[in-house]
Amino acid sequence: MKVVEAEIKKEEKKVTASLSFPLLGYILKRVMIFIPTLIIISIATFTIMSNAPGDPAETLLNQKAGDGQATDKMATDKAYREIRRQLGLDKPIFYISVSSLGACDTLNYIDKAEHREMLARMSDRYGNWDKISHYYDAGMALDKAILFAPRDSSTTLPLVQLRNSSAIILRSWQDVVIDSSLAEITRLSALPNFNSLKAPLDQFIAARADMKANPTKWKTLVPTIHWNGFGNQYHKWLFGDAPWFGEPGMEQTGGFIRGEFGKSYFNKRPVKSMIWERIGWTLLISFFAILITYLVSIPLGIFSALRKDTPTDQFLTTFLYILYSLPSFWIGTMLIFFLCGGDYLNFFPPTFMGDVTWDDGFFAKIGDLAYHMILPVFVATYGSFAYMSRQMRGGMLSILRTDYIRTAKAKGLPQNKVVWKHALRNSLLPVITIFASILPALVSGSIILEFIFTIPGMGSMGFAAVVQKDYPTVLTVTMFSAILTLTGYLVSDILYAVVDPRISYSKK
Amino acid sequence: MSKKEKIVKSDQSFWAYVKRQFRKKRTAVISMYIATFIGLVALLAPFLANEKPLVCKYEGKVYFPVFREFAVGLGIADFPHEFSNKKWSELHYDFVVFPPVPYSPLNQDPKNVHSVGPFAEQDVPSRQFKHWFGTDELGRDVLSGLIHGARIAFTVGIVSMTIASLLGILLGALAGYFGDENLKISRIRFFINVLFFFFAFFFAFQARSYALADAMEASIPSALWQLLISLLIFIGIMGIGNLLVIPFKYIPMFKKEVSVPVDIIISRMIEILNSIPTLFLILSILAIIKKPNIYYIMVIIGLTGWTSIARYIRAELLRIRNLEYIEASHSLGFSGMRILFRHALPNALSSTLIAIAFGIASAILTESSLSFLGFGSGDTVTWGVLLSSARQSPQAWWLAIFPGFAIFITVTVFNLIGDGLTDALDPRLKQ
Repeated sequence: MKVVEAEIKKEEKKVTASLSFPLLGYILKRVMIFIPTLIIISIATFTIMSNAPGDPAETLLNQKAGDGQATDKMATDKAYREIRRQLGLDKPIFYISVSSLGACDTLNYIDKAEHREMLARMSDRYGNWDKISHYYDAGMALDKAILFAPRDSSTTLPLVQLRNSSAIILRSWQDVVIDSSLAEITRLSALPNFNSLKAPLDQFIAARADMKANPTKWKTLVPTIHWNGFGNQYHKWLFGDAPWFGEPGMEQTGGFIRGEFGKSYFNKRPVKSMIWERIGWTLLISFFAILITYLVSIPLGIFSALRKDTPTDQFLTTFLYILYSLPSFWIGTMLIFFLCGGDYLNFFPPTFMGDVTWDDGFFAKIGDLAYHMILPVFVATYGSFAYMSRQMRGGMLSILRTDYIRTAKAKGLPQNKVVWKHALRNSLLPVITIFASILPALVSGSIILEFIFTIPGMGSMGFAAVVQKDYPTVLTVTMFSAILTLTGYLVSDILYAVVDPRISYSKK
Repeated sequence: MSKKEKIVKSDQSFWAYVKRQFRKKRTAVISMYIATFIGLVALLAPFLANEKPLVCKYEGKVYFPVFREFAVGLGIADFPHEFSNKKWSELHYDFVVFPPVPYSPLNQDPKNVHSVGPFAEQDVPSRQFKHWFGTDELGRDVLSGLIHGARIAFTVGIVSMTIASLLGILLGALAGYFGDENLKISRIRFFINVLFFFFAFFFAFQARSYALADAMEASIPSALWQLLISLLIFIGIMGIGNLLVIPFKYIPMFKKEVSVPVDIIISRMIEILNSIPTLFLILSILAIIKKPNIYYIMVIIGLTGWTSIARYIRAELLRIRNLEYIEASHSLGFSGMRILFRHALPNALSSTLIAIAFGIASAILTESSLSFLGFGSGDTVTWGVLLSSARQSPQAWWLAIFPGFAIFITVTVFNLIGDGLTDALDPRLKQ
């Protein structure tokens, strides 16, 4: 695949090259494209993440609103609201929002995710937001009345039932469910002690009847665009809400472009420090992977180019192809299985982190690191031999066909000198420039690699974050890998342009 | 003999040529056979590995339980109650023919739990019930899992590549053929299309978002049905918009043409999708689905995997649009769309086969990596799930080797087919 893709890329390049600008202009143009692309990626990921299921505020609060004392519940609700405000979840998601005339555009002010869902469903069904908000207010009033209803030993059980029913009412939109819960409340509120519930209950029933009697369904079919201003979640995430100059306030953050990536929902640590702890491992392994790929593939490529179409060449190609097709998670599993303790051989450590520290001496630590890195780096590398050596072989072959090589041969230079002195230099150029384009594969592969070898890198962090629905971390890792990849493409394209003067970037 | 050869030689149609070229490459041909074999296994999986007998005579009546299973699945039949609450293998039949592997993939054999190996002593009633490839921790038959895994793998490959090719061919063709300057439409059509796109999106998806979400939670067919309704609304509104354009076209101010930079838009989309590492992109999309299952994975792989096909088609059309016969059809006065879809695209289509073959390989690989990571497969047994179970049973080499080998063979075979197709279809890329 990759071999073919590279060919396509070349072809695409030829076309763009003939249309575009002189070198500097070309670089400038590429950089200019880089920024909007990143912005679009950030918008896309941000939108995806904000629509994800689950309630981050509740995860952070780490407890459910229980049915303890009324004051407890009030305190929990207050803390919950506070967290939502801190995270900025009470704000609209983006600068503009598209909704319908029937829907409410400030729904994010409502605290509970369940209530928001219920209200959204209701307004989708009836389309009369003013009536629905009355209904919700009446429901909340009923809930509050139940919360403050007189407590004594005889009313404990009915109170629990009442609270459950009112909670169900506030999060349901199906008529059947609401009807049955309402019947329960009506039944229980007839008990003595619960006289205080009469009035709110009647109001609630009236509000519900009013909402159901006056639907304006047509309003849900009228699209509206709403401008939310700068006080939205995306703006806060990207630019932060701290002043650009001067001391930031207590709860203010700098935003993504100022290097503040928010706090993890899972362990409440700043994502920034988590990233810096882990990105090193990923980059270290990628660095060695790229280095070894080059060290192995370039000689292999030259070797098979010089023996083009011989059995050796065909064997090598097939062998590398098989290597390329071996899924890395299979090989990784097998290596751990058969070479790292377990029931078979015990050559290598099964986990990544050794127990040697820097205090045990510099060389001891380096040796230990190398020992632990052999298998991961091997698994990260072996697949790319095929691609790189193929590129090298192709480059070498096309150079060997050129006139100047024929001249060199004709004037009697020995084959060795022709290949190593004249051909090698030029054939290396394209191969060197594509180093950047294998970076994305490495980042993507790092998820699997780090999962298998339990490496504390960015890939495993991203994977864990997805599993734990820790969206700030997911967002940051996605952005980082996108930035890394885009930079890779950018550097590769610019190198390609700088290194190969035959490509004309000027207008014809 | 020589006469036959002559006939073959004289057949100069494009596909005959491609076939001949493809046959020249032995590895590709062998791969084709292997792929067909795996495909057949996938197709016949319920008949090859099933706890139910193919034919049986029980209490004087003859049943075809495997066939009946399909009818039950469709809801038009039911299993007789004497079969319920009993294990199929333990019934006393008058006469019975079991499938070659008498286990279903989720069937737990309580006598062979904790990963019994293929060579270890197994507690089975007869040789027929032997677990040829061993069992996993829960006592599920590995061979049966492999056979049904082939089915999943092929479904993943086919479904995701169908989605990817539809998207990729359409977008790639538009980008490649029209470029940035050649798609000229009248101002009013441009304006109306943008406006109606907004309306169509609103009415088809936003206003129906709860209907769609509820259907997706309910079942796959209802989700597809609701999605179809949404798509019809979308197409309908866009159609109405384009009909509205007609009367305006007589006003000169609206008639003036603008060019739509399709190439820039589509190339940026490709770049954006490519810049997020595939596995991570899919993982983050999966994270927002409440209950991910294998079908979501297929759709997501399809929706993210169209870029390579689009690039293929784009590159191909960049070449084709400069050919003389396209110029000829221009001079005959055909419209741009007609030339693209009737004349240019068919010539580019053959080369998408290459991208599709490679795409199937990578879709299978992606799916098995995802299920290896424990993501999204639900309780389906896939090759990746089997392979990941090896991590929990450190002595069970059969769990590490067989599923991985199945993935490896399938992926390699499709890559080699792609390679063969490249040589056969696109000699320019060969050198």
